Amino acid sequence: MSVQGPPAGSATEAPVLEARAVGKVFETFERAPGMLGVLKNFVARKKVDVTALADIDLSIHRGETVGLIGANGAGKTTLVKILTGIVPASSGEARLLGRDSFNLTNAEKSRLALVMGQKSQLWWDLPPIDSFHLLREIYSIDSGVFESRVQAFTRMLDVEDRLKIQLRQLSLGQRMKMEIIGAFLHDPDVVFLDEPTIGLDLVSRETIRQFLVKLAEERGVTYVLTSHDLEDIEETCRRIIVLDEGRIAFDGDLAGLTNQVAGKRAVEVHVEPGGTKNLGPLEAALAPLGAEITARAADSVTILVDAVRMRDVVPVLFENLAVRDLSIERQPLEHLVREIYSQSGRAGASLARGREGPGAT
Amino acid sequence: MTPFATDVSQATRARDGAGSQASRNLRLLWRSVGYEFRKRIQFRTGFVVREMMNGAVEPIIMLFVYAALYRSAGAEGTGSLRGWSFDEILKYVAGLLVVRKLVFHNRALDVSTEIFEGRITKYLVMPFRFFVLVQGRFIQYTLLQVVLAGLVWGIGYGILGDRWLVPVSAAATVQAMLLVGLGSYCCFLLYFIIHSLAFWLDVVWSLLVMAWFFIAFTGGSSMPVSQMPAGLARVFEYGFPYWTISAPIEVMMGRLGPGDVARGTGILVGWLISLEVLRRFVWRRGLAKYVGAGM
Ligand SMILES: Nc1ncnc2c1ncn2[C@@H]1O[C@H](COP(=O)(O)OP(=O)(O)OP(=O)(O)O)[C@@H](O)[C@H]1O
Ligand SMILES: [Mg+2]
Repeated sequence: MSVQGPPAGSATEAPVLEARAVGKVFETFERAPGMLGVLKNFVARKKVDVTALADIDLSIHRGETVGLIGANGAGKTTLVKILTGIVPASSGEARLLGRDSFNLTNAEKSRLALVMGQKSQLWWDLPPIDSFHLLREIYSIDSGVFESRVQAFTRMLDVEDRLKIQLRQLSLGQRMKMEIIGAFLHDPDVVFLDEPTIGLDLVSRETIRQFLVKLAEERGVTYVLTSHDLEDIEETCRRIIVLDEGRIAFDGDLAGLTNQVAGKRAVEVHVEPGGTKNLGPLEAALAPLGAEITARAADSVTILVDAVRMRDVVPVLFENLAVRDLSIERQPLEHLVREIYSQSGRAGASLARGREGPGAT
Repeated sequence: MTPFATDVSQATRARDGAGSQASRNLRLLWRSVGYEFRKRIQFRTGFVVREMMNGAVEPIIMLFVYAALYRSAGAEGTGSLRGWSFDEILKYVAGLLVVRKLVFHNRALDVSTEIFEGRITKYLVMPFRFFVLVQGRFIQYTLLQVVLAGLVWGIGYGILGDRWLVPVSAAATVQAMLLVGLGSYCCFLLYFIIHSLAFWLDVVWSLLVMAWFFIAFTGGSSMPVSQMPAGLARVFEYGFPYWTISAPIEVMMGRLGPGDVARGTGILVGWLISLEVLRRFVWRRGLAKYVGAGM
């Protein structure tokens, strides 16, 4: 096994990925509906600028495993596209392995890999093994090494018997695993995974997570993973970046974040609709127990509480609310993230106003 | 043992010089040729029929029109119209059936759809030029069409014998094929450039149709360029389509000689270089506009 350098990037080393004041504005044209609209568009199209990213600053060092999260339309994919050089940034500067991302040479590209959950990197009409051979050619992988990697990876991801079936005939999960194998065949140093677990079952997700963790450990691979499944991020990433409406709302250590809520539980209480109108008494009763209300809706309330105080808190809930159902989240990271969103919602308000049109979501 | 026990990737990267780059591109080219073949052969049903029929209808219509024309002019026998006897026209049409099989056709490219649908995204992060794959399509197309053209020629000769176009010499055939090959590549470049406009435009097929009409008409697909009004013919003789379609047929018929071939080669090379420069320019500009849809 040949691990190069320290597992997680040291600050002295040049960053593998870097963004300085990166912004991205997509130019779109509003289309009026109907026949008249078509004519109108023909005469004068209305241009609408969509700000997908604004002022992104980050640097990621070798061996870092970064989870990129954010609501739909937050700009995660756009950031990935810019860092990998698929699209140019509208402003600022993005660098990969020290070179301007949009002008990567083959030298950098052969150290890069991209897995897109929504799009295939492999060839649709070929069986995976043929695609892998093409990749071997593209990345000039030594054939002995190639064989052993294909064998090892397919075994790790449990798809050994699917190598010769046309890609289009594989199930979503099997295809995704093949995509991931394809991405790691040339032993990349930087890997981007944009929603690699979308639509997969629990077992496949777990297999993929373990695969990523193992490779990160063995190879010191730097990866950036986006997912809407926080468990993916928790299990595979050490650093977390939260994007909100095109801006970084949080960037930091995942452990630090979870520590904040270590030993805490989020209790979600479901009540009859309208049953959360007057929470004053509940708040008053919870305060001495060190518990607080962190979210409320018409028919639910979420309370953050120390695990050890749980037995005191639960009766209080029943006393003050018409409880219909109750769920306890052991790792309230999800909860924290929601809080990050709601905080940056205020900070990002000016940005939100700057975005126009229906295309902004 | 981990799959990385023998780590050669560093070494691979180190020798990523210009020489190995070229040879890698070449290997890739052949692989993609193979890949394109498999993709096309997959749709076996009607494959041969469609490929044989493609481009055959027009010349046959043309033949009927010509037959009527020559008859009404009373020039069916040995008479000629603007320097072409009816027998020669017959041979020209035979030549068209064969040559048009060889000339690159837009249907073998779908780059604009690939751009619209974001299918080129994956190639952009790989260490090679996307264009190499597209060139693979050109080569695959040409190889397959050579076989088909040979088949068409053989069938025609079997039926019509010497009334069919029989090249005057092997040398003339080689010279004609050189022109067709260069010209076909020019057509390929032109189509590729138009496809690349998909970075800016929603619809490019209308432009592709126009390009095809331009190539077909100025190339002499509906009548030999040398039979057209002199002014028109003189202009068309500077275009690549003339040297791709009309001229090679006349070379095989013996109406044009080695001097003309040399001149035509020069013109084609000039076009080829200009189109290649334009292609690079448009592609580079287009990539800056790319949005990578569907990701
Ligand atoms: N090609 C495009 N043209 C116009 N607007 C675009 C384009 N691509 C993205 N956008 C806009 O940019 C914003 C960010 O999109 P992006 O795809 O990066 O979001 P995301 O965080 O990946 O979301 P999701 O979780 O849904 O994948 C969105 O508002 C989107 O509408
Ligand atoms: Mg996305």
